[in-house]
Amino acid sequence: MDDERVFLEMVAELFSLWSKKTWQIHCVMSADQALEVLRTQKIDLVVVDVNMPVLDGLQLLRILNRRYPDIKKAVITALASEEKRADCLANGAELFIEKPRSADGLKSVFAMLNELIAWTPREGFHGVLRRVGLQDVIQMECLGRNSSVLEVHNTQVRGRIYIEDGRIVHAAVGNDTGEIAFQKLLALSSGEFHLQPFELPPQRTIDGQWEFLLMEAARVRDEVASNPPATAPDDELEKIISAPPEKEPPQILETLICSLQGATLYTANCPNFNSRVTLLRQITLQVEELDKALPLGDFERLELQLPDHHVIAQIKPDRMVFVRVAEEKVKNPKAGRK
Amino acid sequence: MNPDTLNHWLDSCAAAPGMIGGGFRLSDGTCLVKNFNDRWSKEQLEMAVKLLAEGRGLYSNYGFDARWLTWTFAKGEIRVATRPDGLVLALAAEPDSLAAHDFNRLSEEFLAQDFAAG
Repeated sequence: MDDERVFLEMVAELFSLWSKKTWQIHCVMSADQALEVLRTQKIDLVVVDVNMPVLDGLQLLRILNRRYPDIKKAVITALASEEKRADCLANGAELFIEKPRSADGLKSVFAMLNELIAWTPREGFHGVLRRVGLQDVIQMECLGRNSSVLEVHNTQVRGRIYIEDGRIVHAAVGNDTGEIAFQKLLALSSGEFHLQPFELPPQRTIDGQWEFLLMEAARVRDEVASNPPATAPDDELEKIISAPPEKEPPQILETLICSLQGATLYTANCPNFNSRVTLLRQITLQVEELDKALPLGDFERLELQLPDHHVIAQIKPDRMVFVRVAEEKVKNPKAGRK
Repeated sequence: MNPDTLNHWLDSCAAAPGMIGGGFRLSDGTCLVKNFNDRWSKEQLEMAVKLLAEGRGLYSNYGFDARWLTWTFAKGEIRVATRPDGLVLALAAEPDSLAAHDFNRLSEEFLAQDFAAG
């Protein structure tokens, strides 16, 4: 739903093309038309503009959330603000996206919506962003330079992760704070999370790069998954996380995140952007070739082990990621198998 | 390269639980491949070993002279290691299996092994 007819027509045409006509798209220019379509059609996803005349997108969201809680909802707006974003998420939106200004941007929006439609909930997790995993939410918040608080809990623990201007600044769970708390929360195998409007953290305990923090959390989670605990899960997690540090934490030397078309989404210390994008595209081709030879399923990552550092490349449906990390200086002797 | 030594070493890799298969691409372009279960055929593995061996040079062009590469997919992890004499090893294992956890040890062993000896 959008009151800009030209934008609607363009989006409908492109989304239909990119979805290979698997999407049936209904364009409406007002809330009452949207409600009429919802009454007569089976709809999987509603995408609304917030700034609408008469009944605005936020009011429509409230109605949709009440009448159609199971329909996924996304908000797309040219005038994004932190307050508006928090309002939309609190009223049932699963995604809040700034209106793109380029075809590349629109393609990224399509990829995100496509992912939202297709996503099945991570095992045991549900929350405000029900269809998207906890890691993905944190990544989206950081990439979007957003500020928010993620409340995470299950029957045993309750914790909070504070993100300010795209940086993870604090995490707390039980008596733990900082990176240990962050890793504990991301290693939970079940639970619930809610994205809340930002509030100042009681203290600032984390100052690392979010890419590293997510990778380290993924490593801890892998450790937990690959070492089924003989003791209680929390005890095992505690053992893995709190193993005495033997060396310094790894240092991220370079990061690049770009769209599949090569548009920059995020870079840090990337000396040769074009070369990295070309490499990522060639990796994409290799993945396609490998996929023809073996039924390997979804590609997760490629890791290159070099004498003094390692490189991680990921190709996602909507983005490519390249990270170069100084040789793993692990806190836990079990790590570093790759 | 002594084919018996290569065969024997590859067979020893099957011991790790979760190992699906593996193979060598020799410097003359020929392949020696084994599947350790029925999940993937020898033909599929041979095609993958060839692709991986041919593709490994890409990274040197970008200044990344990797000791080894690890491809992680939803249904399998593949380790590719190359020796200075041109012998390429590719091992495929179930994701997060004990075999995948053993990749580093096996790669180190492969890089140090004397495959010319009988």
